[in-house]
Amino acid sequence: MFARKSHREYLLVWLMLLPALAIFMLFRIIPLLWNGVLSFQFWSPTKPAEFAGLYHYEEMFLYDDVFWEALVNTFKYMLTAPIAIILALLLALLVNSRIRGRGIYRTIIFLSYPLMVVAVGIIWRWLFDQRVGLINFSLRSFGLIDEPIAFLESFATALPSVIAAAIWQIVGFFMIILLTGLQSIPQNLYEAASIDGASRWSQFWRITLPLLRPSLFLCFVIGIIASFTSFDLIYVMTGGGPGHATELLITYVYKTAFTLTQFDYAGALTIVMFLLFVGIALIGNLLAGGDAGRVDIAD
Amino acid sequence: MLRRHLMATVAGALLLAGLSGQAALAQEKKLTLLTWNLPIYEEKFRGWIADFEEMHPDFTVEWLDKKGTEFGAFYQTQLVAGTAPDIIDVQGMLWAEYAANDGLVPLDPYLEANPEVRDRYNAEGMKLWQYDGKQYMLPYYFSKTLMVYNKKLFAEANIDAPPSSFDELLDAAYKIKDTGEGRTGFITLNFDWLYWPLMAMNGIELLNEDMTEAAFNTPEMVDVVTRLAKATTDGAINPISWTGRWVEPNNAFAAGDIGMYQGHGAALFWIMGQADWANADTLGVVEWPGGWGVPNAHGLGISASTEHPDEAFDFIQIALNDKWQTIMADNFTILTLNNSVDEALIAGLDDPLKAATLELSLANMDKQTGNWVTPLDARIKDAFWPDIQAALLGQRDPAEAIADAENKVNRVLRRG
Repeated sequence: MFARKSHREYLLVWLMLLPALAIFMLFRIIPLLWNGVLSFQFWSPTKPAEFAGLYHYEEMFLYDDVFWEALVNTFKYMLTAPIAIILALLLALLVNSRIRGRGIYRTIIFLSYPLMVVAVGIIWRWLFDQRVGLINFSLRSFGLIDEPIAFLESFATALPSVIAAAIWQIVGFFMIILLTGLQSIPQNLYEAASIDGASRWSQFWRITLPLLRPSLFLCFVIGIIASFTSFDLIYVMTGGGPGHATELLITYVYKTAFTLTQFDYAGALTIVMFLLFVGIALIGNLLAGGDAGRVDIAD
Repeated sequence: MLRRHLMATVAGALLLAGLSGQAALAQEKKLTLLTWNLPIYEEKFRGWIADFEEMHPDFTVEWLDKKGTEFGAFYQTQLVAGTAPDIIDVQGMLWAEYAANDGLVPLDPYLEANPEVRDRYNAEGMKLWQYDGKQYMLPYYFSKTLMVYNKKLFAEANIDAPPSSFDELLDAAYKIKDTGEGRTGFITLNFDWLYWPLMAMNGIELLNEDMTEAAFNTPEMVDVVTRLAKATTDGAINPISWTGRWVEPNNAFAAGDIGMYQGHGAALFWIMGQADWANADTLGVVEWPGGWGVPNAHGLGISASTEHPDEAFDFIQIALNDKWQTIMADNFTILTLNNSVDEALIAGLDDPLKAATLELSLANMDKQTGNWVTPLDARIKDAFWPDIQAALLGQRDPAEAIADAENKVNRVLRRG
């Protein structure tokens, strides 16, 4: 009797999961597998496939400078996450203190997050504009520079400029997460620490930071995923240029497939990108104690 | 009992749906037209379709339009899905890639059967869409890069005539730069090889004759890039030349502080629409030294996957007939490479600057450059440009950048 009921329950669970699983298979697993197959073939939309072996991987690792440039840029771009987290933590601490108008500050800081990424890209492109941009205008007005800086056109400043825009957009979201974390820390811990004579600095290191760890980890994971897959901001602000100075793996995959019509090579790039992503997720999981994402099912 | 009734109802419904679907398929013949970023022209496309449906009442035509940035991705995914649009309007060299992969229908049999169609067009212009001896597209609209110069800045810089050589060009650029703060001598559009006349006028070739090897790593190229880079860092050439695409350089020239501009007639007309000061009194137009110019052309072709190639050609004939091309030319003040339509367009223009621009665009049609008919065009461009761009912006040593670009281009050519 018990076994039969359990069997029915399992069936019910699987039936409920089926639509989501079907969509996941259709739009995630099958394309990924197809990419895997494609990466070992010579293929284009109008040509029959031929077996290519490891040709594309050899090309990528041994000869393709752009791949390496995009990979390095992707890792640099990931700095968005830690920088944004530090800034968000400072802001969260600030708006969590008893300052006048803190609700308004919170709203203002959060406002950047709900904006569409394309809108953020356009706003920042104008801000960085060499001729009419507000940043160049301000720097010149304050006498900090003589000549306007071509932020998005210079090989040296393009990537940091795009990273600045990315940080601006996500910092408000991180601040809200961290603020929630801060507000869930019991006040009596601080009171007890004060009675024991702990300084504010010591309270921050011994109470605030350890108890914020889950929120910080969440921000870190979201930040890394966002920077690894940040296509639209780069696409709108620089298109990967100048040269390939702001090319990320994700933009390079798109360009290779849809501008250069090398779907097979783009497939190989995607597989490498996927493996990197899996690696990063595993490291993140280890750092979180090895059980991130575990679901406890109540009896 | 209930179950039996249900089963019978479902089976009946399925049978009915199947039969009606088959009947619909048997009746419906359809063509799809894909155009390149011309939603503004919808009314006229509907006109093409109406004329075609009058000729072929058993057909319907669906019209799709995609922006240039989305076009390639859309068309290729449709190709993979087996639902490629039957008739396509393509810019640049994308068509060569499709043609080389048997993705387009060669139009030669149709042109042999209808010689009057071929005779309509500028013979040199038709070569823009020939690959491997076959004609794959027919001209839809066309423009070519020219030099536009600011007469006021020329006068201030005491320059009597537009430059006729590379040396004179740089010399004029420096003179204009020296007329005042914020002034630069020269700006160019840079996408799709538009800057190549600067190389062509110095005798530099991108590829060897059979397009199997890079040919640009020469002392002349190093010298040209070095001088262009120096002029850029000195402020004689506007750096947007090497970084902007369409809007940025055009806006910069429209601001009135730049002496010379390399762009298409279409871009000049856009600038004239943006800037009140830009007219025949303030601007002049000439060919680049040596008569070199880069075409920007759109053609109409037929996807090889079409089930109705004959009707698709009929559609193209309608779209490109004198009636519709006259409307096109008049609407956008643009050349069509249809000889009689273009002659009438130029003759009917009141604005001497516009008339001169179109006349010059049709001159020296045999000196079009930056237009290598190869399916690898996009990949060569991608391999060539980043290193050269860095050198032009003064951020890399020209000789090293050119050598790196040569290696990358050769690798693309070897890889095929």
